[in-house]
Amino acid sequence: MKARSIKYLAAEGVKNIWANRLMSIASIGVLIACMVLIGMASLITKNVNKAISTLEQQNVIMAYFNDKNSVLYGENAPAQTDENVSVAEDSFLIHNDEEAKALCDKLSEIDNVLSVEYISSEAGLQSVKDTLLEGKEEYFTFLDEEYGNPLSAAAKITLADMSKFSETLSLIEATEGVDSVQSQSDLADKINAIKTGVGVAGVWIIAILLIISLVIVSNTIRVTMYSRKLEIGIMKAVGATDSFIRLPFVIEGMFIGVISAIFSMAIVYFCYRVATETLMQSLGVMEIIKFSSVALETFGIFVIIGLVSGALGSLFMISKYLKKEGSEFTAI
Amino acid sequence: MFVVGASGAGKSTFLKLIVREEQANTGVLKVNGYDLMKIKHQEIPMLRRTMGIVFQDFRLIPTMNVFDNVAFAMRVIGAPSRKVRKDVSAVLSMVGLGHKARSMPNQLSGGEQQRVGLARALVNKPKLIIADEPTGNVDPNLSYEIVSKLTEINKQGTTVLMVTHDHSLVRDFNHRVIMLEEGRIVADNAAGGEEA
Repeated sequence: MKARSIKYLAAEGVKNIWANRLMSIASIGVLIACMVLIGMASLITKNVNKAISTLEQQNVIMAYFNDKNSVLYGENAPAQTDENVSVAEDSFLIHNDEEAKALCDKLSEIDNVLSVEYISSEAGLQSVKDTLLEGKEEYFTFLDEEYGNPLSAAAKITLADMSKFSETLSLIEATEGVDSVQSQSDLADKINAIKTGVGVAGVWIIAILLIISLVIVSNTIRVTMYSRKLEIGIMKAVGATDSFIRLPFVIEGMFIGVISAIFSMAIVYFCYRVATETLMQSLGVMEIIKFSSVALETFGIFVIIGLVSGALGSLFMISKYLKKEGSEFTAI
Repeated sequence: MFVVGASGAGKSTFLKLIVREEQANTGVLKVNGYDLMKIKHQEIPMLRRTMGIVFQDFRLIPTMNVFDNVAFAMRVIGAPSRKVRKDVSAVLSMVGLGHKARSMPNQLSGGEQQRVGLARALVNKPKLIIADEPTGNVDPNLSYEIVSKLTEINKQGTTVLMVTHDHSLVRDFNHRVIMLEEGRIVADNAAGGEEA
């Protein structure tokens, strides 16, 4: 097709929007509604995922090492323990910080392990005091002064993918030098369930709204087509090709899509801003994705939805019309 | 050439076959160098560019002025704007509507509207003009004027195929007449007149 024809047809497509302005406004309105819902669904999904990943990072596995304290105070420790109990050096595997750190390195090599933080016996005790015994430290001085520090050295492990939680946990447990592990596997399961649920719901919502968008654009183009039946008939009679007849309708559909994308972007921005400000003020929620960080991506998605639904919707309708009803000589 | 026949005789079907809106099941059908029994779908627009069609109900686009209605036939086949301006002005002058180029269809009489239709059919310089009862919606004086114009075009070398019910026109213009009845040619009088 020649460039001048494309220019002429593009102008015709834009003119059609104005000529059928009521129908165009109605379609733009419905498309905006669909895009705003898609945008909000996508932003909510992103925020839920972010919240979940924060939760995931907090859901750590504590691997306690097989050191002297684990023998003295661990699950298999003798019933009566005191500081004078002697423990043979070969009855445990981790004897010092170097060995503990080497074990941490070994743990960090396990597939799906995101990070490993070494918590020495002393650091572990300090952490317990800081978190559990805040303000009452003096009542518990017996822990290290009288009986010594009972805690084993440990590794604080975070995982990359919570869906592989149990497999990774087994690998950690099986690592030589690890005495016991503590984890919240039920929390991991819940996180996985929420993640899957949010993902599936998001996909369904977006898919349904996309189909609605497509149907809406198709309908507008159908109305335009019937209102231009005479022109289409004359076009066919004077020898216009099918692609030439189709193009103005496709351009009209795409234009409607892009206009809708621009308005949707503005509405989503406004809604998101109001929603986030309210959440931050009322609930003090700080972990919310900034709109600016997803603005370009959201606008890109809107434009693609607009262009694709516009082009496909109109192509589908006009092709069907040209094939079945586009008669140029029905009146003859 | 006139094609005459009662309602249901097959005149419309004949025209639809020529423009390849319908396809014949058997036989031979060749128009302007195209074999319509073998023509491919993508070749149909090219076939139609070799012919001009004048409709009984004019079929002018009401939102376009006279110039644009005629120019439309050139624009849809991708003619350059300069050529569109030149040829449309020339053809409008030829049908005597050069001064009405900016008028809208509803500002014209029936005869004028049909002349715009004729100009649109002529503007791409077709080899064949198909006129489907072009005088059906105009008064008798204008009918003679339109058929005279078609005769003039025919004398310049363009084949004109006109379907009509108007026996007086067929009598008064001495052209070949094909009479159809129940889908068959029952008379073909090359000398003119309706007698078989």
